[in-house]
Amino acid sequence: MTTLHDILAEAAPDGALVACGGGELRRKPMAAVRELIALGRRDLRVATMLGSADVEALLGAGGVAEVHAAGVALEGLAPRWREARQTGEPRVVEWSEGTFTAALQAASLGLDSIPWPAGLGTDLPAVNPWLKEASDPHTGRPVLAVRALVPDVALLHVNGVDEEGNAYVDGDLVLDGLLARAARRVVVTYERQVESDPARAAISRIWIDDAVEAPEGALPTACPPAYPIDAEGLRAL
Amino acid sequence: MIADLLTGTLAEELAAAPIRVFVPTTPATAVAARAARLLGNERLALAEGFTALAGPQRDWATDVFTLLRRGLLGVAVAPVQLDAAGRTNLSGIGPPGRPRVALVGPRGLPENNDTPCPLWYLLAQHSPRTLVERVDIVCGPAPSPTAGPRTLLSPAGCFDLVDGRWVARWLAPGGGELIEGAPGFAIEVAVGVPERATPSAAAIAALAAVDPGGTRRAEFGE
Repeated sequence: MTTLHDILAEAAPDGALVACGGGELRRKPMAAVRELIALGRRDLRVATMLGSADVEALLGAGGVAEVHAAGVALEGLAPRWREARQTGEPRVVEWSEGTFTAALQAASLGLDSIPWPAGLGTDLPAVNPWLKEASDPHTGRPVLAVRALVPDVALLHVNGVDEEGNAYVDGDLVLDGLLARAARRVVVTYERQVESDPARAAISRIWIDDAVEAPEGALPTACPPAYPIDAEGLRAL
Repeated sequence: MIADLLTGTLAEELAAAPIRVFVPTTPATAVAARAARLLGNERLALAEGFTALAGPQRDWATDVFTLLRRGLLGVAVAPVQLDAAGRTNLSGIGPPGRPRVALVGPRGLPENNDTPCPLWYLLAQHSPRTLVERVDIVCGPAPSPTAGPRTLLSPAGCFDLVDGRWVARWLAPGGGELIEGAPGFAIEVAVGVPERATPSAAAIAALAAVDPGGTRRAEFGE
């Protein structure tokens, strides 16, 4: 049986753009993050809309060249994210929730960029080279042209996977469905195998390349309803 | 009590707003939304955080942007800075790209500050650190003329953004002094602006019904 270690050894080489699913303190793919750290990768580019333990653990381990996020926090502020932004090391690319979503939509459609209605009049285009002010070619109306962000691999942690490989999420899917369509390779870890019920599946197996059982694989973040956050584990990051 | 005044006022506003979904960002805003259902907006749906709708909605994280553009989503936010033109900041203090004090990040402020939706800024303090002439990092752009109503609720009172200027709708007791204490954040206070110390009796009853333990008070330091 192929292990998570073997899958990531192949899917996430040095310099890879690795996208983490979940959001805030929910369903962060921490089992995969820990394997990635064990592999000792260098120059990783890490992307997540709303980061927490994933970003903090990877920054703490070193080997990260760049972080893309619209926000990172733990139960309070996230110290390594703050330090990176204040020192510029490693590089942080600031997104909004919407522009990050748009960049993945562009990636899922194979587009170089996609227009987005928000973000104009903000400081984001000045600090994020993926965002450029442009005008709609039909009407001339100003838009933000958001360049595609194409993850080499998306790491997702879900509640269950059935024997056919469909993924099930209880509650908040966050951006995982879009990440699965945008990334070149999709690695799913899951709490337990579940009965097949395709109408309920959150992510079809057609978007999933690898699925590996990893109970408690989101800790110290929560995987509702299986378990809440582990506050001590968050402090120990 | 400021918590009841501001939470109750927000509940009244949400009850009257033409929105289908509300995004609570703090416990008090969630209480206000549940109270708004009792005050007449019975079908108001509540999101869990910014990314999930309570109930069987799957693609919420992308639907939220559609609702924002169509004016159907209400949001109450507490930015780190709010300025005289209605810009917001949640990213940090200092220059963009290299803040002296980095905070969470822009989150959804670029998406929700200039939309046809109503938007409330709910602040526990009327502080010159938060209410400034110009934000350090522009996360939420200044609302354009087509934006929906922008309302600030603070311990100083209730203020509307009208043609790019903040105008007092009513003042809380002692509100005038609080406004003077944040001089960078200009507010027009017309002669005879009413003072308000409590929300309506119906709002007070709705708060008591949905939040008997008073969880709304913690974020106002009460």
